[in-house]
Amino acid sequence: MLRHMLGVAALLAGIPVTTVRAAEAWNIPYETATILKGRVVDALCHLKGRCTPDCGSGKRQLGLVLADGTFRLVAKSNVDFAGSVRDLIGYCGREIEADGLLIANPAVTVFFVQAVRERPSQPWIPAERFKTDWEARNGKAAEWWRADPEANHIIAEDGPYGIKGLRPK
Amino acid sequence: MTILSHWRAWAFLIVTLSAAPAGAQDGQRVTITGEISDTWCTISGLMFARGTAHHQCAIWCALGGIPVSIRDPAGNLYLILKIGDDDESAANPRIARMATHQVTVDGELLERDGVKYLLVDRIADDKGVISMTHEEHGIQPFGN
Repeated sequence: MLRHMLGVAALLAGIPVTTVRAAEAWNIPYETATILKGRVVDALCHLKGRCTPDCGSGKRQLGLVLADGTFRLVAKSNVDFAGSVRDLIGYCGREIEADGLLIANPAVTVFFVQAVRERPSQPWIPAERFKTDWEARNGKAAEWWRADPEANHIIAEDGPYGIKGLRPK
Repeated sequence: MTILSHWRAWAFLIVTLSAAPAGAQDGQRVTITGEISDTWCTISGLMFARGTAHHQCAIWCALGGIPVSIRDPAGNLYLILKIGDDDESAANPRIARMATHQVTVDGELLERDGVKYLLVDRIADDKGVISMTHEEHGIQPFGN
């Protein structure tokens, strides 16, 4: 909501919407709203040299190599229960800007991306590609996670607690 | 082997080595014991993210492509990038099935910019889900 209000205010003021985008706060411990600029790489390739030409075809974790060499794993997208690989894989090896929340938790530092773009002149693209791709494969669903065939298959076999035969009362 | 084939072999080696990313590194051999955890739910603090209470949610997140970690008793998170020859660390059903299991793994630890990355060579032990948190916390996050 805040983002939309900022956008409307910017339009009324004659400011391009792309310049005012700011990540939505989630009030997560150690979060900082920030825009990262870096090259999209696959983590296993960048850290260990085990590379494929296409960043793992969307099946590996991805991140950004910043100008100072820092590697930031991009762990979460703007879709509930979903990561960011679908949002980044199309930019494999290319420089992008990613707007989101850097979570510098002492246990692990990761980035929660909310929108991406290649150049400042381009509009921000919401990091919601997972939902688009999921619906293309499975059809519309209010909650993708409850309709996901693979998840439902695993939960049917092992139960919601992960212990066969143990069911909610 | 002819001189020409020797040359080709050396050229391939040089090209392969020069293609390796500058950030690639050798890690440390480790054995880690802990619970297979959803990284996002663990650090976001938005719900109770352990054991039976969180098993279903952790499956959803793993299949959604959120990185999966092992959380040791000290609270360290080791983010899994591969298991054996399987280097699919995003939305891998094999890893999703292990959600909230208590495991011991052998592998290589790479520490970089605030993250402990783990390349698992083998799962030495898998005790399944042993932390019965649902008795206190129900099913997270929605209660069903």
